[in-house]
Amino acid sequence: MSSTSQKHKEFVAEPMGEKPVNALAGIGEVLGRRLEEKGFDKAYVVLGQFLVLKKDEELFRDWLKDSCGANVKQQGDCYGCLREWCDSFL
Amino acid sequence: MAALRNKSDQEIKDLLDEYGIKHGPVVDTTRPLYEKKLKETMAKAKVTVTKPSPDRTFYREDQEEVTYVTYQTPVSIDYFSCLRPVFRPHVYNTPSSSSYSKPTPVVKSGGGVVKKENTTSSGRLIPLWVQFLVFLILAGFLYFIFTNMESAESSPFNRIQ
Repeated sequence: MSSTSQKHKEFVAEPMGEKPVNALAGIGEVLGRRLEEKGFDKAYVVLGQFLVLKKDEELFRDWLKDSCGANVKQQGDCYGCLREWCDSFL
Repeated sequence: MAALRNKSDQEIKDLLDEYGIKHGPVVDTTRPLYEKKLKETMAKAKVTVTKPSPDRTFYREDQEEVTYVTYQTPVSIDYFSCLRPVFRPHVYNTPSSSSYSKPTPVVKSGGGVVKKENTTSSGRLIPLWVQFLVFLILAGFLYFIFTNMESAESSPFNRIQ
């Protein structure tokens, strides 16, 4: 991931609080809706899953692909976003 | 083979450790993922076990080693055969290289066709068309040099001044 999107920058700049799941980089409307249907309605719930998977990239990518059908780029963007957020705030 | 779904969380965790799969705690949200990973790994392990091989613990290592060796050799050989005729123009007329004994004007197309036939379908680091293109460019360049130099050996296109 050479460059980060605006969404990524905004997300990692502050505590996520009650931000919705589609505030995460890589998660748009469609993926966001699919995650919400599974109960991941807030960004912090996805964060919870990220932490339970021990912040492992491969596991998190696999999980994201299985739960909402994210492609490789979307997986990478979401992972990078959460990892950087954790580096700053966790 | 008991269904993974009926196993307890602890049993799933033990299986993950047994197969050496990196994992976190087995909870509601992670369980389906780990079950899927175990299923894939078990299927792969089953395939390697059916291969006739001596009693060994690490089948995966064995398989990896074999593929690594077979992949390496074709690439190294092909690279040399591709480079050799290019860097030494004299080799064009010796029978050792593919089929460059034909007169120079035919080298460009005839040699190119033979080269393509020799390499049908094998994994390459550099795509075939790139090799082909580089070869054509260099062959054309050398042909240009040949026709513009006074070579006593084989140059039917001698200019009559």
